[in-house]
Amino acid sequence: MIEKIIGWCVQSRKIIVGLLVIITVVMGVLATRVEVKTVFTDLLPQNHPYIAVNNRFKQSYGGSNMVSVMVEVEKGDILSLPILEKIQKITNDLGRVTGADPFQVTSIASKKLKEIKSSAEGIQTRPLMWPDLPRDEAQIAQLRKSITDSSLVYGAYVSHDFKAALITVDFFDHLVDYKAIFEQVRRIVDENKAPDLNIRVVGEPLLYGWVLHYLAETGYIFLGTLASLVLVLFLIARTWHGTAIPLVAAGMSFVWAMGFAGIMGYNMDPLVVVVAFLITALAISNSVQIVSRFDHKIARGIEPTSIDAAKASLSKLFRPAMLAVVADAGCIAVVALTPIPLLQKIAIIGGIWVLTIAISGVVLPALTVSWIRNPGRYAHPLNIKPLMHAVLHFCTHAATSRWRFFVVSIAGVVFVVSGLYAFKLKVGDANPGSPILKPDSVYNQDAAAINNIFRGSDRMFVVVSGEKQDTVKQPAVLENIAQFQRFMDAQPEIGGSVSLADVLPSVNRVLHEGNPHFLELGRDAAVNGELAYLFVSGSDPGDVQRFAATNYKNASVTLFFRDHQGDTIRSAIARIKEFTEKHPLPGVQYLLAGGLVGVLAAVNEVILAGQMEAIAWALLVLVVVAAITYRSLVAGMFFMIPVIVSNTLTFSYMAYHGIGMNINTLPVVALGIGLGVDYSFYVVDAIRDEMRRHGDLKQAIGHALDSAGMGVLSTMLTLVVSVCLWSFSSLRLQSEMGVLIAIWLSISAIAALILMPALVYVFKPAFVVGSVELKGEHVETLCT
Amino acid sequence: MGRISNARQYEVAHYATLQRISSLGGAALPFLIIGGLLYSAFFVKPKVEGVSVEPPVIERRDIFYGVAIPVPGSVWVAGNQGKIVRSDDGGTTWIHQATGVTAHLQSIAAWDPERAVAVGNDGTVVVTSDGGKTWAKTSMPANVAGAKLMRVRTYPGGKAWAVGEMGMALSSSDFGVNWRSTTAGEDVSWNDVVFVKDVGWLVGEFGRMQATRDGGANWKVLASPVKSSLNGVYFRDEHEGVAVGTEGVLLLTKDGGANWRVLPKIVDEHLYDVLWDGSRWIAVGDKGALLTAGISGDKWSDLSRDAGTTWHTQVVGANGSYLLAGYGVTKIDIDRDKRTETKKGKQ
Repeated sequence: MIEKIIGWCVQSRKIIVGLLVIITVVMGVLATRVEVKTVFTDLLPQNHPYIAVNNRFKQSYGGSNMVSVMVEVEKGDILSLPILEKIQKITNDLGRVTGADPFQVTSIASKKLKEIKSSAEGIQTRPLMWPDLPRDEAQIAQLRKSITDSSLVYGAYVSHDFKAALITVDFFDHLVDYKAIFEQVRRIVDENKAPDLNIRVVGEPLLYGWVLHYLAETGYIFLGTLASLVLVLFLIARTWHGTAIPLVAAGMSFVWAMGFAGIMGYNMDPLVVVVAFLITALAISNSVQIVSRFDHKIARGIEPTSIDAAKASLSKLFRPAMLAVVADAGCIAVVALTPIPLLQKIAIIGGIWVLTIAISGVVLPALTVSWIRNPGRYAHPLNIKPLMHAVLHFCTHAATSRWRFFVVSIAGVVFVVSGLYAFKLKVGDANPGSPILKPDSVYNQDAAAINNIFRGSDRMFVVVSGEKQDTVKQPAVLENIAQFQRFMDAQPEIGGSVSLADVLPSVNRVLHEGNPHFLELGRDAAVNGELAYLFVSGSDPGDVQRFAATNYKNASVTLFFRDHQGDTIRSAIARIKEFTEKHPLPGVQYLLAGGLVGVLAAVNEVILAGQMEAIAWALLVLVVVAAITYRSLVAGMFFMIPVIVSNTLTFSYMAYHGIGMNINTLPVVALGIGLGVDYSFYVVDAIRDEMRRHGDLKQAIGHALDSAGMGVLSTMLTLVVSVCLWSFSSLRLQSEMGVLIAIWLSISAIAALILMPALVYVFKPAFVVGSVELKGEHVETLCT
Repeated sequence: MGRISNARQYEVAHYATLQRISSLGGAALPFLIIGGLLYSAFFVKPKVEGVSVEPPVIERRDIFYGVAIPVPGSVWVAGNQGKIVRSDDGGTTWIHQATGVTAHLQSIAAWDPERAVAVGNDGTVVVTSDGGKTWAKTSMPANVAGAKLMRVRTYPGGKAWAVGEMGMALSSSDFGVNWRSTTAGEDVSWNDVVFVKDVGWLVGEFGRMQATRDGGANWKVLASPVKSSLNGVYFRDEHEGVAVGTEGVLLLTKDGGANWRVLPKIVDEHLYDVLWDGSRWIAVGDKGALLTAGISGDKWSDLSRDAGTTWHTQVVGANGSYLLAGYGVTKIDIDRDKRTETKKGKQ
């Protein structure tokens, strides 16, 4: 049946290739619609309760798209006219950045930071330094006094030593344009630069801005990788077709996938480039197999003509190739189970992309090679094939001599040790700063400096929600909030917290001549209402909404985090739950959680819940596909071995290097499962095939490694050499993932070339050797 | 030959065993593995776990209003949310003592290292007689309920005085277990009380002052030269005393309070407490205000350092070495011009 289809394909090759070209052109046009950008809402699991809380309250309590700018002087302090002028200018300019919420720009120069004073006329609140700057030294001295008087400002927006001031700006989620924000904020920073003055910027919009900033570099690296692919392929294959065909195959798959993304209206996240490269690697692997099998058949004179060799290669490789494609597509498709839109899009596009390899990486290469006139002619004299054959012979020896037991035992030990170590893999970020950028990047250094001076630039808000109006004026509720803050502040990574329960005591103290003995809440709801009223009077409505709803039905507690490592966030969430369980308040709920850290908590929880599920499903897909293909459950199990070993090893590497499982690494890991098994499919299928032909297992393994093994080795070398270029990327995520993929490919190749043949030789699974052949071999062994 | 054939037989047996194992495993394992995968896909839900956090004894949000040194080396500090901590090495290490109350404690005083009393909001009074291992809330006269007690001082023989809102001036003579009101509750807040034997003085809001010469049985209103709040008072003997108040007010009397002299202002900050330590006067207040004077009490000098939110509500100590209550506890050594803050998380 398959033979017939293949025969028809090769006969109608002109029509088929013509069709493929037309489809590729159409898809290419559609692909131009795909924009390279990060869509913020794609990163959030929208049905997670934290995200619901964030969406509901972010407008008043501060969302996750906040940028903090720190102005820091090296000499003197910030309370000098030129510096204050700069702070004012930056504050005003930040409010005009695309997508900024002009009412959520906070600094000593904004209307939002006020001093509360008692005077003969009563209590007054007035902005610290808005709209006008201080005019003389006396006014500056007054400003200094006002700042130290306000606990909401001193230490929060001005450092305790007056050497640094903070300006924060919130962005509307739906208007976030990372490129625009990055460029405009950088321009503001550049315009206000001065000697002895540091301006540092941190915040998620900036972070994604940096990723876009490096887009050109990413492009160059991609081109470099491509060039390197060409070179290494050319070196190994020594033929033009051996070089061009895998690249054409990969290119066609890419265009089709992007065309499909264009139809779906998807965008391309720059951080997904790693996944794109992985799938490209799969396309190359598969087409190299076809081409190298074709070359093998020609070189050995097994088939006389190009057409026959192409037909034979395709029919031999059809099963393992389809197995590889379907298993890989299944593995990436299960990522869709993690309910984060970005991951679901990656799963859909990735799945389709992998499926296109069936045509671009399997059928198209076979059809193309059938046209080759002088297949045996080499394009350059340098031949490293003998070296590779030597390696493969070594592999054959290791798998078929007594060393095979050693190989299998070592694999067992590696599995157990790495399996145990892999449990150290963390979900979420494993280090302070952003894992996307390098530790010494401007962004991460700025983040470290700001978090060192101020109480933490990453925020989480928790909403204390009541059933009735004025709930949060009740002393019991406010006392509970105060206790909650005390409890939360004990965590070292939390730099501080702020809520209505901090604001009201400050007002109360002002009412009592500034006496700290009265730094406390009012004794009843009415007094607290008065205090709140005094704080509100003369403010914009939005100013109070930072702390509580206008009807005082709910209030926020904002926690400031010095980092957003997975462990930090998990501890904080667990502690919030611990507190609310131990100190329940009737009619009052603590709603988790908004702001950047709240959103990250949701993402991490979803990934934590999803990772086991995704890995289990991916393995299941693999087992089922292999079992069906070979009509043997043992086959399903057998192919799990290389996958599991390469997984535990890779996880161990991630744990060792502090690479956390997050939204960017999860798809790579899922694809890696498929990647880990492709090579084994080809090698084991070739052993099976050779076994059917001459019944001698040792010889079958030797032949299989010589043909399929050669394909594996050349693909692995090509991809590993190329992917190493990624380590030069300024984006830490890309350089780390580059190394990770290189390791993964190497381990998979070693598993396919040594471990799998050894396992076949030791266990002689029926689906490979066949029951009859096995007996035959025993007889043969006995007779010789 | 025989050896070779033995070896071959061994090999056959060996393969047979391997084959049996693989066929046995082959039959059962796949189902086990697929079952296991299905199980983990559907039922394994990793739990969100955090690292446990041990809160430091002195926390970032601690505000201490009162400090007591029963004997050199031992220190008690009391503050917001009913917190009391104790040190027995002069303030290097601290132990949290559970009081069982959540009301803010405004003042603490001790008779000896075992017995102490702390007072605070809502008429809260807690006492200990075992060095603070256990603190017990004492029952107070009915009219104290809800009144905020601002200050407590202890005197030999188990005597104690506590003052506060609603004209509260309470005394105890059994180490703080039983208390009685000595003034008719009026709508005035007393901020401090001090006794020299049977002679005592009260100061409070609106510059009010009262004095007694009979251990509190009768109180006499004193004429005050100021209308602003007086926060602290201390007498080094029956005649000479100093009172401090808001906006840097410093009052001096040499005649037991009959006449008070307003001293020139050294600082504008509010002053909250004043103390005669046996060799010098010392006063503390808002924004790090720290003043001292010699025995005459009329020439004060400003030793304030870092201005900031570092207010202090009480000073205790002697011989140039003092402990100040505020955001944490500050140890200062005036003669060596040294100060150390208790360790706290970053603000």
